[in-house]
Amino acid sequence: MTPTLIWRCPTRNGLPPLPAVASVVTVLVAMWSTASLVEVDFARLIGSLGKMVSFAGNMFVMPEWKYLPHLLGKMLETIEMTFLATAIALVVSLPLGLLAARNATPHLIVYRLVRDLLSLMRALPELVWALVFVSAVGLGPLPGVMALAFVTVGFMGKFFAETIEVIDQKQVEGVSAHGAGWFQVRMFGMLPQALPDFVGTVMYILDHNLRAATVLGLVGAGGIGYDLVMSMRLFQYDRLLPIAVSIYLVVTLLDRLSDQLRRRIIHGAKAKI
Amino acid sequence: MSIISIKSATKRFPNGFEAIKGISTEIATGSFTVILGPSGAGKSTLLRLMNGLETTTSGSVHVTGETLSKSNLRKTRSRVGMVFQQFNLVERLSVVTNVLTGRLAHRSWLGSLFYLFRNEDIEIAQEALARVGLTDKAWSRADKLSGGQQQRVGIARALAQRPKVILADEPVASLDPVSSEEIMMLLREICDRDGITVVVNLHQVDLAKRFADRIIGMNSGRVVFDGTPAELSPLTLQTIYKRDEIENDTNLDLALSYA
Repeated sequence: MTPTLIWRCPTRNGLPPLPAVASVVTVLVAMWSTASLVEVDFARLIGSLGKMVSFAGNMFVMPEWKYLPHLLGKMLETIEMTFLATAIALVVSLPLGLLAARNATPHLIVYRLVRDLLSLMRALPELVWALVFVSAVGLGPLPGVMALAFVTVGFMGKFFAETIEVIDQKQVEGVSAHGAGWFQVRMFGMLPQALPDFVGTVMYILDHNLRAATVLGLVGAGGIGYDLVMSMRLFQYDRLLPIAVSIYLVVTLLDRLSDQLRRRIIHGAKAKI
Repeated sequence: MSIISIKSATKRFPNGFEAIKGISTEIATGSFTVILGPSGAGKSTLLRLMNGLETTTSGSVHVTGETLSKSNLRKTRSRVGMVFQQFNLVERLSVVTNVLTGRLAHRSWLGSLFYLFRNEDIEIAQEALARVGLTDKAWSRADKLSGGQQQRVGIARALAQRPKVILADEPVASLDPVSSEEIMMLLREICDRDGITVVVNLHQVDLAKRFADRIIGMNSGRVVFDGTPAELSPLTLQTIYKRDEIENDTNLDLALSYA
């Protein structure tokens, strides 16, 4: 007994649980032993401070106003790519998500196969798939949309499946007990329960895809990315700042929109069938 | 005439627990039967056997003359409505959509692809809602209703499928006394007016005595009493609620003295 201690953990012996201590220690040891490998060098960081400040200073110049219409066009293209790719992925992901959910799949083999397919699709980042599709169909937004949709199905299908796996089985039973068929049980008992999380997932993925779409231009797959990289390479700082600001604005706007939509769906602003 | 007959049914769960230890019984068409028994006696399992939510380990269950099996599960369920203790409504759907899910057994999956129903189905659903007095709540979301109202939606859902039998698994266990009374009266009225056979699991002895035509008493997986409410004596109640491991159960005596 150590009566002098005021604080204790809510465990039998009052000490922190061993698994928690072990994980923290493991992470610290791993970080310490790999720091030199990835060249974390504080001297270099501090030494580069001057360069960073001068770069940041370059950013704050008067924007090139006559570039703005072109920027607007490119930004619209980026947004269109994002929405199109997400919409295509949504249509494909819904059925795949059902097949990849343990409690909704017709058979465990189907479950395993679809899961593996989904992880294959998201194994490589958008940029790599974009390279593949650019060499397949040529330059432009089309390979960009294809690459985005491809990777998005991999993520969305997995997220959907995991949402479906945690729904309340009692409500499902309520539907199936009245003689609803296999497909009907999934439509009426499962999907309505998963809907709010679906919307959350779609919103997160829209957000992610918008940012992914901004870099696809790097490999010639459309969007604002090409301008972003070129203005950086050519030291056109008067273009760089408007591009960065416009990306930030669109992402923020999307975030607000998703908040609104989610709240409506969770609390049911109006009656829905 | 019996609409449900159970022949030497046993049910053993994968974890080894034997919930039903050999039960044979018949439920008469148009009757109102209450199953009484302590928690864990196997009441729910017995009821769930009757519409295939559980399958027997041995023995068989026959509903409207057909032996329950995997192939006629959907058909059987279209004739047997179920009302649950926790209502089991799809909370995010509107009240009327929940009632409409009772119609799904009679419709193909194609309409369900776009959440479409036929006009006649909507009429049947509205009728069922009128029956339970919830017409004005039709377009509310199911989870916005009170417990008593949600249970009435549950009954409307069962009614909408035009069943021959309604099974109710402790339909009033989560409700206050007034709502409980209303739900029991509703079930009794459905039995009397529509000739629908009703089987109810209950915890409340007084409700069982007042509403039932027949009471089946269960204890640890077996039927220990089967008779009319009038035949349910304090002594038989002792057998129904007897706890094996306790010799002189003063709590049991105390509880039954109020029944």
